[in-house]
Amino acid sequence: MHNTKKVAKWEIKRNLKNKTFIIGMFLTPILIVGFMLLGDLFGGSDDDNQETTNVFINDQLAIFSELKQTVESANIPWDLQQTDLTEEEVSNALADTEDTAYLFLNEQNLNQGVVPAYTSEDIAPYFMDQVQVVTGPLQALQIQELGLTEDEKNTLTQGIQIKEITTEELQAQNQTTSETNPMERIVPGAFAGFIMLSIVFTGMAIFQSASQEKKDKIAEIILSSVTPADLMQGKILGYFVLGLLQAVLSISIVLPVVAWKFDLTILEYLLVPELFLYIGIAILGYLLFASIFVGVGATMADVSTAGNFQGMVMMLPFLPFIFIGPVLSDPNGLMAQIGTYIPFTSPGVLLLRLTNLEQWPWMEIGISLIILLLSVWFFMKLAGKIFKIGILMYGKNATPAEIWKWIRA
Amino acid sequence: MGTVLTVKDLGKAFKERKIISNISFEVNQGEIMAILGPNGAGKSTTIRNIMGIMYPDEGTITFHHRQGETIPRNKIGYLPEERGLYKNVNVMDILLYLAELKDYPLDRAKQRALTYLKKFDLEGKEKVNVEELSKGMGQKVQFIASIIHEPELLILDEPFSGLDPVSQELFKQEIYQLAKNGTSILLSSHQMNLVEEMADRLFMIHRGQKVIYGKMEDVKTEYANFKCTIRGFNNKAALEQLPDINRLEQEGDQSILYLNKDVHPAKWLQQLPADLQIQELTIDRVSLHEIFIDIATDRNLLQEEGDVYA
Repeated sequence: MHNTKKVAKWEIKRNLKNKTFIIGMFLTPILIVGFMLLGDLFGGSDDDNQETTNVFINDQLAIFSELKQTVESANIPWDLQQTDLTEEEVSNALADTEDTAYLFLNEQNLNQGVVPAYTSEDIAPYFMDQVQVVTGPLQALQIQELGLTEDEKNTLTQGIQIKEITTEELQAQNQTTSETNPMERIVPGAFAGFIMLSIVFTGMAIFQSASQEKKDKIAEIILSSVTPADLMQGKILGYFVLGLLQAVLSISIVLPVVAWKFDLTILEYLLVPELFLYIGIAILGYLLFASIFVGVGATMADVSTAGNFQGMVMMLPFLPFIFIGPVLSDPNGLMAQIGTYIPFTSPGVLLLRLTNLEQWPWMEIGISLIILLLSVWFFMKLAGKIFKIGILMYGKNATPAEIWKWIRA
Repeated sequence: MGTVLTVKDLGKAFKERKIISNISFEVNQGEIMAILGPNGAGKSTTIRNIMGIMYPDEGTITFHHRQGETIPRNKIGYLPEERGLYKNVNVMDILLYLAELKDYPLDRAKQRALTYLKKFDLEGKEKVNVEELSKGMGQKVQFIASIIHEPELLILDEPFSGLDPVSQELFKQEIYQLAKNGTSILLSSHQMNLVEEMADRLFMIHRGQKVIYGKMEDVKTEYANFKCTIRGFNNKAALEQLPDINRLEQEGDQSILYLNKDVHPAKWLQQLPADLQIQELTIDRVSLHEIFIDIATDRNLLQEEGDVYA
C-alpha cells in the first residue's frame, strides 16, 4: 500500500504538470456548459416560432370575452376572433388554410352538450386537448341557466374524481408527508452518473499510461523498486483521484450554470441518503473498467497499433448506452433486468433504473452489486496477471492467444 | 569483504526450452563482478531473476545481511538493458520519484542528484524535460537514477551500450569509485576490453550454462595462452613444424600462432628458424575478447584446456 500511494501520487503529479491534461480537464465542463447554452439557443428560437392557431368563434351566447380570458390565462397560443360564418360556409372557408379552426357556440349546441369544431387539414397537434378549455366557461353557462342555488352549483362543478392510493403510498404517508418529488431521485442519480462518466473517461487514460510505460521502456526500472501489483494499483488509484478531480471541477463549473438555468435548488435534492449508494455504484463501475484498461494497456505497445481485440475492449464503457432507451421506457422490463446483471452495464443501468423507479427492487440491486463486486475482484486478478508480463514486453503487441496463456499461467 | 549475493543452481525455462540452468555465483562486497556472454546467452534472464522481475523455476537467490525472503529492493540499484525514462517530465522530478520509490530521503536525494548531474556534465539540466535530452544524456540520467539511493548492490546490464568514449570513461571511473567505496557491482557487458580492465571476477555464460567462473587474473593465466602474430610471407607447412603450436591461422601475409598452455615465451622465441620472414612480430596473451568470440562461435579454443573451471 505504501508503494501504491507513491505510484498514485506520481501519476497525479505527472498529469497535473502536463499542459494537455490540464487543458482537457477544463475543456470538458466548458464544452458541457457550451452545449447546454447552445441547445438553449436553438430551443429558445423554437419557442418563438411556435405556431399560433387561428380560432374563429361563431358566438351566439355572448361568451366570447370570457373565453378569451380563459384562453389567455391558460397560455394557449390561439388567436381568437369572432366570426359570422355559418356552418354551411365553413368548408369553403377552411380550404387552403392552415392552423385554423371554427367553433360554433349556440343554444342548441349548448343544450345537446356537443360543440362542433371544424379544423383545417393542418392543425397544431395538441389542438383537441387545448380546445377542452372552452368547456369550462360553457359548462358554467349551462349551470347558470338551470337556475340552481350556489351550493348546488358548486357541487356540480366540483365533479367527481377517483384518486389512486397504493399501499406503499399509504405507508409513505405514515412516515413522511411529501415524498413525491421526482427531483429527489433524479438529481443525485444524474450527479452520480456524471461522476462515473468522468472517472471512467479519465480512467481510459490509465490504458494510455500503461502502454506508455512500455513505450518509454521504464517499466523495468520501476519494477526494480515496486512489485507489479503495486504499480498497477497505484495507477488505478492515481487515475481515480484524477477522475474525481475532473468530476469536482466539472461539477463546480456546470452545477451553478444548471442551477441558474433551470432555477433549481439542486443542493437540497443532492444531499440525500441515496447519493451514497449511487456513488458507491459509480466507484465500483470505475474499478471494473480501470482494471480492464490497465490490463489491456499493458498488452499494447502503442495506442495507434491497437488490434481489434483491444479496440473492442475499449468500447465496453459505452455498452450501457444501448440500454438507455429500453430502461427509460420500462425501468422494470426485461432489458433493464438483463442490463442490471451484466457487469459491464450494471453500474450505468442500475443508476438509470434507480433514478426512475418509485419502488426499489432491493433483491435485484443486491444481486447486481454482488455480481459487480465479484467481477471487480475477478478482473483485478486477471489484469494483474496480464499486467505483470505484458508491461515488460517492450515494443510488441500481445495477441489474444498470448494473453490467454498468461492468464492461465 | 563479505558476500552480498549468492545465486545457487538457478534455472529458468520458457515453455519447454531451458533458458538458463545451473547458474551459481556470488557477488562480494566492494568488487566488480562481470557476467559475460553472447546475445541470448541468458545474462539478462539471470539478472531479471535476481531482481524478482521473473521468478526462477529452480535454484535460490540469497541476499546476505538481510532477513526474510523478500528482495531488498531499497538496497539494490538496477540499470536494465532495455531502459528509458518517462517523457514529458523534468529530470529532477523523475530522479526524485525513483529515489522516493526506494524510500530514500528526498532532501538528500536532491543533493545527490545535483552533485551527479554536475559530475556528468548535466549541470543546470535538472528542470529540462526528458524529451529534450539526447540519448547519451538520457543514459546518464538513468545511471544517476540507479545509484541515487546509495545502493549496496548495483546491477548494471550493458551500462556502456550506446555511449561515446568520453562518457564511457566517465561511467567507468564512477563504477570504480563506487566499488572502492564498498558498493558491490554486478556488471553485464559485451565490451570485453572494458570488462577485462574493470572486473575483479567474471562469470561467462553461453547457452544458459556456465563456461568460465573465476578471478580475472586466474582466468587469464588459465585460458589466455600466448599467441604470436607474424607478418611476412611464410609457408604454412613450415610454420606448423614449429614446436608447441596449438593452432594456426593464416590470412594473406599474416599468421597467428596460438601457443600451448605451458610455453615459456622467451624460450619459444629462440627456437624460431633463421629463414623465417618477419616484417613484424608480436607476442601477447589471447584477450578476453578472443576467448569470448571463440565461445560465441563455438570454435572451442578452450576445449583442449579441459574443464578446469568449467
